[in-house]
Amino acid sequence: MIANLAWKNIWRNKVRSGVILGAIGVGLFAGFYSSAFMSGWVAGTVSSDVDTYLSHAQMHDTAFLANGDVSAFFMQAQAAEKIEQSGLPVSVSFRLKLSGMLASANNAIGVSAKGVAVEEEKAVSAIWRQIPDTLGAFLPNEARMPVVISRKIAEKLKVKLKSKLIFTFQDATGEMQSVAFRVCGIYKTTNGAFDEGNIFVRRDDIFAYTGLPDGAVHEAGVKVADMETCRLVVPQLKALFPELDVQGWGEINPMLAVSMEMMEIFAIIINVIFLFALSFGIINTMLMAVLERTRELGMLGAIGMSKGKIFRMIMLETVFLTLLGSLAGMAAGVAAIAPVMESGIDLSFMMEDMFEDFGFGSVIYPVLSVEMFVEILALVIIAGIISAIYPARKALKLNPLDAIRK
Amino acid sequence: MNAIIEIKDLYKIYKDQAQEVRAVNSVTLSVGEGEFTAIVGPSGSGKTTLLNLIGGLDTPTSGSLSIAGKDISRLPGKQMTTFRLHHIGFIFQSYNLIPVLTAKENVAFVMELQGRKRDEIDRRATELLHAVGLGDRMDSRPAKLSGGQQQRVAVARALASKPQLVLADEPTANLDSKSAENLLDIMEQLNRQEGVTFIFSTHDPRIMAKAKRIVTLEDGTIVNNEQRMAE
Repeated sequence: MIANLAWKNIWRNKVRSGVILGAIGVGLFAGFYSSAFMSGWVAGTVSSDVDTYLSHAQMHDTAFLANGDVSAFFMQAQAAEKIEQSGLPVSVSFRLKLSGMLASANNAIGVSAKGVAVEEEKAVSAIWRQIPDTLGAFLPNEARMPVVISRKIAEKLKVKLKSKLIFTFQDATGEMQSVAFRVCGIYKTTNGAFDEGNIFVRRDDIFAYTGLPDGAVHEAGVKVADMETCRLVVPQLKALFPELDVQGWGEINPMLAVSMEMMEIFAIIINVIFLFALSFGIINTMLMAVLERTRELGMLGAIGMSKGKIFRMIMLETVFLTLLGSLAGMAAGVAAIAPVMESGIDLSFMMEDMFEDFGFGSVIYPVLSVEMFVEILALVIIAGIISAIYPARKALKLNPLDAIRK
Repeated sequence: MNAIIEIKDLYKIYKDQAQEVRAVNSVTLSVGEGEFTAIVGPSGSGKTTLLNLIGGLDTPTSGSLSIAGKDISRLPGKQMTTFRLHHIGFIFQSYNLIPVLTAKENVAFVMELQGRKRDEIDRRATELLHAVGLGDRMDSRPAKLSGGQQQRVAVARALASKPQLVLADEPTANLDSKSAENLLDIMEQLNRQEGVTFIFSTHDPRIMAKAKRIVTLEDGTIVNNEQRMAE
């Protein structure tokens, strides 16, 4: 009954309700769209970084992370066996990781070379997908001493496919080793910083030059099905390998983890600001609605409607108005977002390089999630209830005598 | 006849800076069940104040006031609201219907506040609207009804809660004479049928002509309390 009356009361002044509904709708559309956009940006950046270089987790010898010492290794066979026995749902790529100089006939730069087993690496990282068809392939079997470099490195060293490069590094015994490779593929990720310093070679090709014992590796990249599994698996890996340094992606790149959290907090802050601003509009509208009904609210009191019910009626009117506007805004948001969820929003027309230098992709795939709906709806309901309190309290102060006197 | 209203030495005094206004001044009155009573008097004589006190919309400065055996002069607000809901019906000069509800919904509203059953509400709202001659306008909103029709809906609403007492403040003041006559006939008939006590504050000679008792107020004091014989 009260809900029915509250609902009908909203439509007394269609223009006024329409204006505030429009304001709430537009505000929520913007909030919802920006949340989906930021979530997409967050998810896209994390998944691209996890796919290309972070993996969900990495394992190293404890000394390796401290100084990148070539001789800080662990044994692949034992680690692989432990993982297999544990039954953890993971894919693992065991890598050699060597820092050194990469030189062409024209130039030389410092890089980190990852020695990988091709099939293992393909199961863990998506770097092989970042090589366009016209720019070669990821360490093909038939190639002799192949190396995959990035487009940025190719530009700096002024090389192209099939060019010869010399990689010089210090082996486990402290001797300098120079190994010749030929460019077999040129990749490009959305992370400019990564592209500037990483090359890929076959593990077996470079192993002979490292001076390491058979089966030694520097790094294990671990990939799982999704972020949720990652949260569960990382602590288990840590328990399984107490002698190694096991790090989740957020520990390897805390800046990424922090900036992603910041973005999520940002999205919430933006929505809260939207709603805060809207609350004033809602309070104003409801206050007008209450004050112009002084006589009627007094009459309701006179005929026996309790103050509690009058309070509830005004609260419900506000909540209905807010919910209706928000649902309309969110529906418009979904309608605008759904078509670009697959294709993405391409921002490369403005400052592609800048985005990539900061490790962000320039194509954003907005993300809609149930959590987002629930979060925004909860915020809206809270804002609606808070905005309703003042007008509703005002209504309570009206005296039924006003009705009978007029 | 049992008394539905018992008023003893009732005062309502307003203090306006240095001045003291005795809107109701030592009123003692007893009204029996089923009476059709008019409170008359010049403007400012205290009619509306007395009616507000009887309706529990205002609290007396001193004295006692019982409705249906219950002293309401000191009832707290919440209990007073509940008491009004179950025992008193109101008819206002300017109808005061809820504009967003239909005639039937307006009549049903009070019963819904009382928490009655749906089918009972539906039946009584329909009966009452038929009784006030608006059986064909049940789904009309107040804005689509004439003043006389709106006031008839208000009468039906006042009776919907099955009150023992209906208080009407100048109910015919905004009506043309034909609508006023019609409304009075309906109220008189319902007074007989339902056995409800009606108290009017009025200037209208037509109401006075139909009233079984006329209480005349002057300066907040009863100067005449005239009981008429039933016709």
